[in-house]
Amino acid sequence: MRKFLLYLILAVIGIIMLYPLLWLFGASFKSNDEIFTTIWFIPKSFDAEVYKNAWVTVTPYTMGHYFVNTFLIIIPKTVFAVLSSLLVAYGFARFDFPLKKLFSALLMCGMLMPSIVTILPMYRMWSSLGLLDTYIPLTLPSLFACEGMFVFILIQFLKRVPKEFDEAARIDGCGTIKTLFLVLMPCIRPAVISIAVFTFLWTMNDFLSPLIMIQSVEKYPLSLALRLSVDSTGQGYEQRKIIAMSVIGLIPSVAVFALAQKKFISGITAGGLSG
Amino acid sequence: MRSRFYRNPVGVSKFTGLILILPFIIGAVLFIIYPFIYSFIVGLKDTNGGLSLDNYRNILTDSSSRRTLFVTLKYTAVLVPLKLIVSLLAALLLNCELKGIGIFRTAFYIPSILGSNIAVIIMWQYLFTSDGLVNQLLKAVGISPVGWYGDPNYALFIIVLLRLWEFGSTMVIFLAGLRNIPKELYDAAKVDGCGRIRAFFSITLPQLKNIIFINLILQTIAAMQEFNAPYLITGGGPLGSTRTVGMHIYDEMFRFGDEGTANAISWLLFAVIGIIIILLYRFTEKLRRD
Amino acid sequence: MKKNILKTAALCCIISLSACSDKKDYSVTMPDGTLDKCSLRFSWWGGDDRHEATLKAIDLWNQKNPDITIIPEYGGWDGWAEKMNSQVSSGTEPDIMQINYDWLISMSPDGDGFYDLDKLSSQIDLSQFDNEVLSFGRVGEKLNAVAVSVSGRSLFYNSEVFSRMGADYPETWSDLIALGNKFGESGLYPLDLDIQSGGTAWYLAVVYIQQQTGRQFITPNGELGFTVEDIKAALSFYKKLEDSHVIRTVRTRTDEDGNAALYQSSEFIGGRVAGVLEWGSAVGKYESVLPDGILEAGPLLTDEKGCSDGWMIKPSLLYAVSKRTKHPDEAAAFINFMLNDEKCADILGTTRGIPASRSAESALEKSGSLKGLAKECNDILERSETVTISPYMELSRMKEFYNTAIESVSYGTADVDSAAKQMFSSVNNYLEKIRK
Repeated sequence: MRKFLLYLILAVIGIIMLYPLLWLFGASFKSNDEIFTTIWFIPKSFDAEVYKNAWVTVTPYTMGHYFVNTFLIIIPKTVFAVLSSLLVAYGFARFDFPLKKLFSALLMCGMLMPSIVTILPMYRMWSSLGLLDTYIPLTLPSLFACEGMFVFILIQFLKRVPKEFDEAARIDGCGTIKTLFLVLMPCIRPAVISIAVFTFLWTMNDFLSPLIMIQSVEKYPLSLALRLSVDSTGQGYEQRKIIAMSVIGLIPSVAVFALAQKKFISGITAGGLSG
Repeated sequence: MRSRFYRNPVGVSKFTGLILILPFIIGAVLFIIYPFIYSFIVGLKDTNGGLSLDNYRNILTDSSSRRTLFVTLKYTAVLVPLKLIVSLLAALLLNCELKGIGIFRTAFYIPSILGSNIAVIIMWQYLFTSDGLVNQLLKAVGISPVGWYGDPNYALFIIVLLRLWEFGSTMVIFLAGLRNIPKELYDAAKVDGCGRIRAFFSITLPQLKNIIFINLILQTIAAMQEFNAPYLITGGGPLGSTRTVGMHIYDEMFRFGDEGTANAISWLLFAVIGIIIILLYRFTEKLRRD
Repeated sequence: MKKNILKTAALCCIISLSACSDKKDYSVTMPDGTLDKCSLRFSWWGGDDRHEATLKAIDLWNQKNPDITIIPEYGGWDGWAEKMNSQVSSGTEPDIMQINYDWLISMSPDGDGFYDLDKLSSQIDLSQFDNEVLSFGRVGEKLNAVAVSVSGRSLFYNSEVFSRMGADYPETWSDLIALGNKFGESGLYPLDLDIQSGGTAWYLAVVYIQQQTGRQFITPNGELGFTVEDIKAALSFYKKLEDSHVIRTVRTRTDEDGNAALYQSSEFIGGRVAGVLEWGSAVGKYESVLPDGILEAGPLLTDEKGCSDGWMIKPSLLYAVSKRTKHPDEAAAFINFMLNDEKCADILGTTRGIPASRSAESALEKSGSLKGLAKECNDILERSETVTISPYMELSRMKEFYNTAIESVSYGTADVDSAAKQMFSSVNNYLEKIRK
């Protein structure tokens, strides 16, 4: 009985959470007036043609090409972000060093400034280095642990791991780095996975940075390709094509999250000092 | 220089930490210090090209600018506590080992993925316009309907609800924290005859202290910088009642092309958020100490 | 510790110096009369139809001129202005750009922001354009850009609702007011004006006063032409439209439609709101949500004597050349192709509106693509004495002033008098600041 109640609550909330996605999928088959007037997600007719058109796009490249571009950005970015955030968080959480207070303050400061303000100076910097229209401005900052939020999260999670683990590792002969990767990281694995997932999802949705930094359509990531069709003065454009594109664009994000949350299940619960 | 005692594990030099955070040091110079100084100087530029406090003066004396700060503070004060509570409850709910819980976890996270999708805009219109679902529900219970979008007193709640619905990221961090609580603690409590609610308050909450603090800080910063939600849904709202500081900065920077004012507002916002964060740290110091 | 402070201070100085120094040095490349081998970057924004057509046109060019390669850069409207702003302010803009009307003032306030196209008249056939049209692209004395098409707002109505109500499309302003009362009895509205996406509320009020007084709201060189009394009259006129049930009040409209544009509103689609004031080039959106042929163009509103002055037009898009381009002749040749070449015009069709170039327009007429509401709107506007919208009127910050005034009058937080005084001083001060 308890289980049934639980499932019921989960289902009700789940529907509320999921409905816009259902609606979006249904809307990709609806005509313009239908989209803006009906709220029920099942469309009057199903015509898969819209997905074919959406995939092909009017540019010389298909959505597949833009997917690849996006992955060329996301994968290095995620790897860089996780590695550098781990190292830096480890340094802050477990070690004491000169100027630590200054750097902690800098870390906080980095989080407080709205990113809008940093875009133009960054643009000018990359422009003077001749690195515009490459993926470097989009991926390199992650190598330097610039996402203060991730470092901050990892620091707090690391602080919860008892220092005895470090000592035990040291006794077993682990150096500083080994301690981090073999002993500490597994303890905070859910947090590390969260950070990887966040990097992935936010990069997928990130629109302003690639728009400003990238010039050639060939290098557009998915987030830019999705906005290609939306003009301010449309001449009878079909909303459903744009919606179909955004449905296609959402699939990797949903898939990645669905896979990643499985890792949470197998995330260990710190079982004391044994092992 | 007085020599300081660096509390490090045995055999670890005081520079190990520095080496570990080396990527951050480089990154800080390039991506934090440089834009900060650049932004600070641009904020001081006035219309004649010289350096002055004109921009700051204009902002502080403008009543609509002051209003944006008030709106933002109100928004933050309402949203952050609600979001923390909702995310924590959701995380507790999803922390169980039920079969198929993964589907629900993904479902609960979808709103955060949707972001500024047109579906969200249309859904919210469906809910809150005068013939919308919310008003119909109100009518059904006998409360007179509200003009959500058009009434300056209510429009902010539409935005609050939107961000509240997107509790996914906060929930995920709570989930990660819950996963780290040793099961033995709960088992021991059960043996001692501890009820579920008591276990929540005596075990779960204290264990999650740090995590709650993370989310508190992060959500406060995010709420103070909010720009996307009001921009999409209300455009600054009736009579500026949903115009946040974030929107103000965006307008000045990108719509009006006034870099100087945009940067000046950003520094003021930075200062305000900084003060709030410092206050939060102080007030929670006792609670967080182990 | 001291060393660190010194190092940081030095870094600050260097950075501050670089922040102060503006764009890189450049020298304007003069045209040399010959077309050399090169590659040019060309950027535009639009929707799928415009992208498709333009890419085809570029293919045609590349066939005809294999030595001059055009590299296309394009995207949707979202964020494009930010992108352009970043590029122009950093000196990294493409050789040829499609620009918006108000960017002329924001990016080239003194006329030196873009290449002076008068110098390139050997490559661009400017005779295909009326002098008036060319003046749209002039800042100061310099031709900064050439208008691709000209557009204006006019009135469109839902014919089905009107015939059901047994009403004719209004011809004078008093017709419109009377219509408001008549439709109001059935809970309908003959028109819609907004302050959000379109900003049509102030637009119509300005047209009304311009017609009445013969004064232009903002002159082409950025002077405020209206007096405080004129602004007050305009705001009162707007209030009258609300009071006579011609349009919904701002609050009602926001309550019913949220922040959406009218074509996304179920009130419009369902016929409760039966008219819209829209750009001829953009009316397709409204046609697409109503059944075919229902939306029809109505006449421009006149005063009792039938005078239709005061309605406005502006260039909807322009082409400009970067002042830093190394190949001005080649860029000009390409612009000439895009504007005047007949085969190109056939390919581009009306994706950038009805072409202002005579040769392009006649090419389209021959192929029969000149039809529909956009063309009707164009014709209606051409037949009357229209006023050119000053680029200063279109600046985003100005629009904020208009919308604030309308909103406060509609919500009643300010009376017409004080709202008018407030707008007058804000607009005046701002124009003074940016006028060069």
